[in-house]
Amino acid sequence: MTAPVPVAGVEGAAADPLTAAIGKLTHELSVLPLQGEKLAAGDSFNLAAFTLTNYTFWLILAVLLVAVFFILGARRASLVPKGIGNLAEAGVEFVRNSICIDVMGPEGAKYFPFIGTIFFFVLFNNLLGNVPPALPGTGTVGTTFTWGIIVFLVYNAIGIKKNGALGYLKSFIPSGTPGWLKPFMFLLEIISHTLRPVTLGVRLFANMYAGHIMLGVFAIFCALTLEHFTAVGLIVLPLSFVMQVVLRAFELFVAVLQAYIFSILTAVYINGALHASEH
Amino acid sequence: MIGSLSVLGAGLAFGLGAIGPGIGIGLIGGKTIEAMARQPEMAGRLQTTMFIALGMAEAIALLGFVLAFVLYGVK
Repeated sequence: MTAPVPVAGVEGAAADPLTAAIGKLTHELSVLPLQGEKLAAGDSFNLAAFTLTNYTFWLILAVLLVAVFFILGARRASLVPKGIGNLAEAGVEFVRNSICIDVMGPEGAKYFPFIGTIFFFVLFNNLLGNVPPALPGTGTVGTTFTWGIIVFLVYNAIGIKKNGALGYLKSFIPSGTPGWLKPFMFLLEIISHTLRPVTLGVRLFANMYAGHIMLGVFAIFCALTLEHFTAVGLIVLPLSFVMQVVLRAFELFVAVLQAYIFSILTAVYINGALHASEH
Repeated sequence: MIGSLSVLGAGLAFGLGAIGPGIGIGLIGGKTIEAMARQPEMAGRLQTTMFIALGMAEAIALLGFVLAFVLYGVK
């Protein structure tokens, strides 16, 4: 197969400016250590090579922002909150009522700490990624798959605690399944459960990564048409500028939507584990 | 040859894999609006269910996305 798109300034010069710019974009969106050129193969699994990367840097910043937001919000707790406290309360109320209680019923409030953590972690990371120099901490598979696996472990633990290991496994076969179908149903359920952390992780990663690639591509169109001015540029420039503005707004929407979807699916999975014996 | 075919396959995997979920997401949105127009008082619950269903449909498109990456790496 042909070599990957040459990265401008990294290894050799690319043939045309567009390819070079897109190569540079994907290079900047890849996981790079803060110090040094790039990660060696296998570094991801090597604890000795642990280093801060561009993504972990912004991820830590986003987590600190969550802490600051809630510490400021809870500092002067009053019956009628105002300012940042009001915002924090609205956010907490939304997660507690519209996600936990709506999906799991009154007992869902018990799982608010877990789901709230996920929601605000993902939300702040996604939103921070929309501030130009920052990268979304959720825009890399490392973060999103870790959350996917945490969710998988937690909801299965809840299911086993509630129904017992045998009862939980038994619930994988819906009642009323004919005997010969039972092994297949069991296998199908196992596959669908195994896919859950994968889809959770990929959904969040793909949305953030693809969104930033799109923003970057239209920014590149703007920059290149300004630089190499041609007649085609007269059409491409305003179009890509408008697309840039529209996509930026859309990305803000996606940032909130993905945080919502991630936490609501977590709630749905926990709910399924809680009521496993009923269906 | 295998390399260029795998790039072609990657594009096809994502492109064709997005057709079904695209139709599905359209149907989900349309039906939700229909239901919400019929029973506005149920809007909140319908929206929650809609987002769950959207997530499921989206996941299928994303399998194509992952497959595209896997195929792209085939040498």
